[in-house]
Amino acid sequence: MAISRNNLLAAALIAPLFAVVVASFIVPLAVTLWTAIGNPEVRETLPRTTAALRGWNGEGLPSEAAFAAVAAELAQAHEAQAIGQLSRRLNFEEAGLRALLLKTARAKDRLSAPYRDALVALDPRWGETSLWQILARNTAALTPLYLLRSLDLSLTPDGKIVAAPADEAIFLALFARTFVISFWVTILCVLIGYPVAYTLSTLSTRWANIGMALVLVPFWTSILVRTTAWFILLQREGPVNALLLGLGVVDAPITMIFTRFAVYIAMVHVLLPFVVLPLYSVMKGINPAYLRAAASLGAPPWKRFIRVYLPLTMPGVAAGGLMVFMLAVGFYITPVLVGGPEDQMVSYFIAFFTNQTINWGMAAALACLLLAMTAILVVVARLIVPGFRLGGVSA
Amino acid sequence: MKTGNGLALTVRTFTAIVLVFLIAPIVVVFPLSLSSGELLTLPTPGYSLRWYDDFFTSSKWLLATRNSFIVGIATAILATFLGTLGALGIFLGRFRGKTFLVAMLATPMVVPVVVTAIALYFAFSFVGLNNTLTGLVLAHTVLSVPYVLITVLATLQTFDRNLLKAAATLGAPPPAAFRRVLLPLIAPGVATGALFAFATSFDELVVAIFIAGPQQFTLPRQMYAGLREFLSPTIASAAVLLIICSLLLLTANEYFRTRGKTRTLPDDPAEPN
Amino acid sequence: MHDPIVTFERVTKSYDGRTLVVEALDLTLARGEFLTLLGPSGSGKTTTLMMLAGFEDPTSGTITLDGKRLNHVPAHRRGIGMVFQNYALFPHMTVAENLVFPLEMHGVPKAEIEPKVKRALDMVRLPQLRDRKPGQLSGGQQQRVAVARALVYGPKLVLMDEPLGALDKQLREELQLEIKHLHDELGVTIVYVTHDQSEALTMSDRIAVFHQGRVQQLATPADLYERPANAFVASFIGENNRFDGTLVGRDGANCRVRLPDGSEIAATIEADLAPGAAVAVSIRPERVAVGAQAQRDNRFVGDLREVIYLGDHCKLRLAVAGNESFVVKVAAGDAATTLDRGSALAVAWDAAACRALPPLA
Ligand SMILES: Nc1ncnc2c1ncn2[C@@H]1O[C@H](COP(=O)(O)OP(=O)(O)O)[C@@H](O)[C@H]1O
Ligand SMILES: [Mg+2]
Repeated sequence: MAISRNNLLAAALIAPLFAVVVASFIVPLAVTLWTAIGNPEVRETLPRTTAALRGWNGEGLPSEAAFAAVAAELAQAHEAQAIGQLSRRLNFEEAGLRALLLKTARAKDRLSAPYRDALVALDPRWGETSLWQILARNTAALTPLYLLRSLDLSLTPDGKIVAAPADEAIFLALFARTFVISFWVTILCVLIGYPVAYTLSTLSTRWANIGMALVLVPFWTSILVRTTAWFILLQREGPVNALLLGLGVVDAPITMIFTRFAVYIAMVHVLLPFVVLPLYSVMKGINPAYLRAAASLGAPPWKRFIRVYLPLTMPGVAAGGLMVFMLAVGFYITPVLVGGPEDQMVSYFIAFFTNQTINWGMAAALACLLLAMTAILVVVARLIVPGFRLGGVSA
Repeated sequence: MKTGNGLALTVRTFTAIVLVFLIAPIVVVFPLSLSSGELLTLPTPGYSLRWYDDFFTSSKWLLATRNSFIVGIATAILATFLGTLGALGIFLGRFRGKTFLVAMLATPMVVPVVVTAIALYFAFSFVGLNNTLTGLVLAHTVLSVPYVLITVLATLQTFDRNLLKAAATLGAPPPAAFRRVLLPLIAPGVATGALFAFATSFDELVVAIFIAGPQQFTLPRQMYAGLREFLSPTIASAAVLLIICSLLLLTANEYFRTRGKTRTLPDDPAEPN
Repeated sequence: MHDPIVTFERVTKSYDGRTLVVEALDLTLARGEFLTLLGPSGSGKTTTLMMLAGFEDPTSGTITLDGKRLNHVPAHRRGIGMVFQNYALFPHMTVAENLVFPLEMHGVPKAEIEPKVKRALDMVRLPQLRDRKPGQLSGGQQQRVAVARALVYGPKLVLMDEPLGALDKQLREELQLEIKHLHDELGVTIVYVTHDQSEALTMSDRIAVFHQGRVQQLATPADLYERPANAFVASFIGENNRFDGTLVGRDGANCRVRLPDGSEIAATIEADLAPGAAVAVSIRPERVAVGAQAQRDNRFVGDLREVIYLGDHCKLRLAVAGNESFVVKVAAGDAATTLDRGSALAVAWDAAACRALPPLA
């Protein structure tokens, strides 16, 4: 069947939006995935070495051609100032390789044929099979290393997957911490939000409007402003301590800022409206006749709550709770500002690897795992909340 | 649901405490910003406008304010335009997979902002959009366009398609039907979407941390920089200004929301009079 | 027909490419007539109307208006007015603005607009409501405005798709007459869709009975009732007792039908059917006489099951010749209404009052 006039118009209307979302969202995500598994450094900086290593079977040492190529190309890379990226990349494979590469690059003038002997003389590590295995492995276009590291795994030079060394195995704990913080924030938001939404739904219009305003104003206020407020409030010399001292509750100021406690307080404050609002609208929509019917059928108040009210409000609880959890898992600003080093979440490390250690591969790998975690949550949400849509519950 | 009076009272008291918890941090910023002292403590030693003066004479804060408005307004225009057209296309088209398409276009809402931010940072590094206002506008548009799309789609869901048919039988060609019938009826939804887009951009920080250089600092980005340097009450005054903007946006949003509601469709006719 | 305004020629419509929603439709509409499309829900009436209005394209076949092919003429250039079931008044415009809209769209000069609006509002007796928004009107008022809006710019043809479906019974009957009178006064051609047979009988010049995408019969109300073309029409219009049987003998318009229990009915027949064909015998409840009637062609003894009192008349439900709910209408005072349940009761009718029909076209 020909495309109808209707659908041509529709396609023309959707096209610009589609193009922008693809170009500035889908493509960047694909770039991120590529960054997490791409492995350009050795191929691009050491192309002749890469070619020479192609014929090597991984046992013993490679041919003299490989030694000659690596000596020449490291020197070239040094001059072209490309050595930094390469040495950082290989140092990530095995600590100490950066120094070796720089040393070799600077030794250019002292090296002459046969290069195998010259390099081994310069540093005995050039005579080790494992070093060459690492080099050879990284001539491949893709590497699983970043994703493995994000899961606290590592590769041995001969390609076996093993547990990462203890001082680098921090990421599973990081994901667990992110999960735990998000979990408790969600529980707190639901436990606090439920009675609040309930009360608001029972108030007269006038009072309900005032109450809703007190929920909506924080909801519309920027997360940074609210976090800043807590940052100021929870300082050692801040207003909260001043109040506690003034009331005589404490004798000396207590440390609240840069603690897990501060993270919970600020995150619950930021995310609470996300459960109160959907719960309120679900509760507003419940026909009081159901509860009257339950009462007329002889159910005492607590049974009416457990058997009728709670099941009817569950979609709101699930929608709000999942929304909070999904947002919490990606939190960045709040833990950075009010948490301590032990309270940082996955996002912090993504930013850390991007902006501070410039290890884009690790940043991208962590981002991909965080994304996968969110995707699983969305799928779970769709399965357990009927009518769950991105961005809240549908009408 | 009537429960015991004691329980009801407890729940109400609890609610009141929670509401105070929600609003108090926002309220407390106001006196702090008016402090005459150098420290962010309460009670303040006295009141003055010196920190507002500081804000409005600082080239950094003024640049940030200017950037925030430029990016916010450009984002609102772009996102409203793209989102409204897209919503209309989805509404008018007859094809399968609409739910999937909407879900795809709305994913920026659920992807953690940090992930979007580094993705844009990586991608923009190839095309030179990092450290540009254009890049920031594009990034904020992607973050806010789902809100426009979803609000306008929700408004269209209450729009009676027969009205377009009626307009056609009365002789209106499609552009006239669009301008005189469809647009006036979905205008409140479009306005709400535009406000959301502006608010999203105006409050956005994480993407700005990644892709904005000092020349592109927005108000939240400048505030964040200030927080990490040293805590001056100027930050509190900036926070107050941001809160006031949010209040204005919220008020405008409520206005459009209620206006949208009073224009109900006549499928529930009033009592005969 | 001397002055056709609309013709459908072999029109079919399928939404999914497999099932035909409208099948080989041939229909000619005379200028100035009031034609009703009557049929159960899902029979293709709205689809037919939508193809005429220009909101759906026929899958095959041709529709003409005033002799010109309509294929690919967009809806806004057809000059066909329409009234919708849910009124479809523009909620953001006042009543008067709703009426001005079509006049502006048709380029009516400014000076003529106001008199036309005023006349249209007078016509539906709502001049006092001109500045109200549709949301402030009752359902009946809104539908009057919708009718006025569809007529105000003087279209030759107006389509109405179950316009009274959302109104209560009393209002519906009132508006049926109002629309009929407007039709008589203005001489406009109306195609009216309904699934309510009494509405169709009240209003129409002719009725097309739809079933499963086909027109089963196109005739005047009286013809439809008295001379239904098949068993579907007979049962859809008015009340009807039905016996399924086999045609056993035929002599011109007279025939005999044997029922499964062995009894025979004498009936009239028009359809081109030969002995051996399956037929459905149809007899209207008011044409059956109760009591011993020696002179009638068909005489049976039934078993009284129920007496239903309906004020001006009573209905008796009997088991007759294998039909477990054979209904007879009698006057309220009739002696039969005092009989006990289970009594034997003689019923009789003439062959002329009873028709042997094809089970379905
Ligand atoms: N837009 C459509 N897409 C697919 N099927 C449709 C559409 N409109 C109607 N139908 C189907 O066509 C058949 C006839 O519908 P319709 O013309 O509305 O019948 P009526 O008005 O007599 O109730 C129905 O089975 C209906 O489900
Ligand atoms: Mg219909």
